[in-house]
Amino acid sequence: MGVTCVAQVPVAEGKSVQQTVELLTRKLELLGAEKQGTFCVDCETYHTAASTIGSQGQTGKLMYVMHNSEYPLSCFALFENGPCLIADANFDILMVKLKGFFQNAKANKIESRGTRYQYCDFLVKVGTVTMGPSARGISVEVEYGPCVIANDCWNLLMEFMQSFMGSHAPGVPSVFGTKHDSVYGPADTMVQYMELFNKIRKQQQVPVAGIR
Amino acid sequence: MAEGVLSPGVNLEAFSQAIAAIQALRSSVTRVFDCLKDGMRNKETLEGREKGFVAAFQESLHSVSRDLGELERLSNLVGKPSENHPLHNSGLLSLDPVQDKTPLYSQLLQAYKWSNKLQYHAGLASGLLNQQSLKRSANQMGVSAKRRPKAQPTTLVLPPQYVDDVISRIDRMFPEMSIQLSRPNGTSAMLLVTLGKVLKVIVVMRSLFIDRTIVKGYNENVHTEDGKLDIWSKSNYQVFQKVTDHATTALLHYQLPQMPDVVVRSFMTWLRSYIKLFQAPCQRCGKFLQDGLPPTWRDFRTLEAFHDTCRQ
Ligand SMILES: [Zn+2]
Repeated sequence: MGVTCVAQVPVAEGKSVQQTVELLTRKLELLGAEKQGTFCVDCETYHTAASTIGSQGQTGKLMYVMHNSEYPLSCFALFENGPCLIADANFDILMVKLKGFFQNAKANKIESRGTRYQYCDFLVKVGTVTMGPSARGISVEVEYGPCVIANDCWNLLMEFMQSFMGSHAPGVPSVFGTKHDSVYGPADTMVQYMELFNKIRKQQQVPVAGIR
Repeated sequence: MAEGVLSPGVNLEAFSQAIAAIQALRSSVTRVFDCLKDGMRNKETLEGREKGFVAAFQESLHSVSRDLGELERLSNLVGKPSENHPLHNSGLLSLDPVQDKTPLYSQLLQAYKWSNKLQYHAGLASGLLNQQSLKRSANQMGVSAKRRPKAQPTTLVLPPQYVDDVISRIDRMFPEMSIQLSRPNGTSAMLLVTLGKVLKVIVVMRSLFIDRTIVKGYNENVHTEDGKLDIWSKSNYQVFQKVTDHATTALLHYQLPQMPDVVVRSFMTWLRSYIKLFQAPCQRCGKFLQDGLPPTWRDFRTLEAFHDTCRQ
C-alpha cells in the first residue's frame, strides 16, 4: 500500500449528504477517475469495564475495534493516542470473551461506506459516514500507491486533493508528523479514520444538545 | 523423392499411372509421325498401298486418342500439385475467384515488395550507422570495425572481478543507493539497486554494458516465486512504468564504448536523481502532477525534474 490521507468534507450549503457525495464523485469522474467497486470501514467502541477501573488515577480508556474492507482478513484494535494492534479477523470473537474487561458501546458504532475510484496511481474512496440509522458526514480517503514515505509525497497528494476537493482539501494528517522516514502502513490509515470518526461523533453532540 | 515434395493431398498411385499414361501417349504420337514419315510401303497395287497406309494411320490415331482419354481420366485423380507456383502455397491465393472481397494475393505481393525495399534500406542505414561512433556492442561489422580493430571486444570479456570492483565502487559512492550484485545465469551480472525508500531497479548486465532495466516501487515485489530476480514483469504503477521507459532511453543516451565503467557510473548518477521522485515539482510548469503523474523525466545533463510533456 501507499501513503493515505483521510479527510472530512463538510456538507455543501443547502445540500444533503447524498447530494454532496454526488457532487464529489462527479468531479472525480470528470477528472477521469474510474469506478472500482465499493469499500467499508467500521469502528466499534469498547469501554474498559468498571471492575478494572478504580486503581488510583486511572481513568477508563476507550478502545476502538475497526475493520477495513481493503484488508478483509484483518481486524484493528486501537487506543486513542495509543498503540494499534493488527490481528486476524476472529479478534472480534476474542472481544466477546473479554467482555468482563471491555464492554461494547453498541450505540457508538460508526462506519463509512461508499465507492472506490482509481485515477492513475491514486485510489480515492468517497464514503458516507453513518452512525445508527442516519448519515452524519462525508469521508474522503486518498491513497497514492507508489510512495511509502508520507512526507515525501504530501505536496503531491495535496495538489491532487485540491483538484477535486477545492478549498476543503485537508491539512497534514497528524500521523504524518510522527512517521519521519518510516514506511507508511495500514495502521496509520486506521488511526486517521478513528480520528475522523471521533471528530464526527463530537460534532454530532452539538446539534443534539443545542436548539436549532 | 517425389513423395517428399508433393503435398499429402496428391494421390501417388494415380500419379505414377498418369506418368505411364504420358509415356504411352508420347509413344503413340511418335508412332503417328513415324507412320506419316514412312509413307506408303511397297505393296503390289497402288490401291493396296493406300489402303494399308490409311489403316495404319487410323489405327495409330485411335491409339493416340485412347491414350489421351486415359491420361485425362488419370489427371482428375491425381489432384493439384501446388509446387509449380513461384510463391509456393501462397500462390494458390491468386486462384481465389472473389478478388474484390479478399484481395489477399495482391496484398501479399505488396507486402513482399515492401519487405524487399525495407531490407534494402536497412542495409543502407546499417552501412551509414556503422560509420558513426554510437555503439553499444562490438558485434558490428563493416568499415569502422576495420578501422578500430580489437578495441571493443575486450570490453565484453572483462573478468567478473573487474565488474564487481566497478559496481562496489559505485555502491560506495552513493550512500542512499544500495546495489546488490548477483550472477544467477553464469557470468552476466544482475543488479538490484534500491534507491532510498523510493524505488528499486533491476539492472541486467552483459559484462559492463547495461542490457535492460526495470524500475519498480519500493513496496513492490522484485522476485519471482522461486526467489530469483524477476526481470520480465513490469511495475503495477504507471509512474514506475514511465520511469522504466526513461531509464531505457538513458541507457541509449549514455554511450562511451571505450569506457563502459564511466557509462555505468553516469547512468547510476542519473538514476540517483529519482530520490526526489515524489518531492520535486516540475522545473517548467512548477506543478507536482500532470495527468496524475509526478515529473518522471530527469534531464541527462542537469538532472532537473520535468513532466514527460514539459521537457525539451
Ligand atoms: Zn510540468
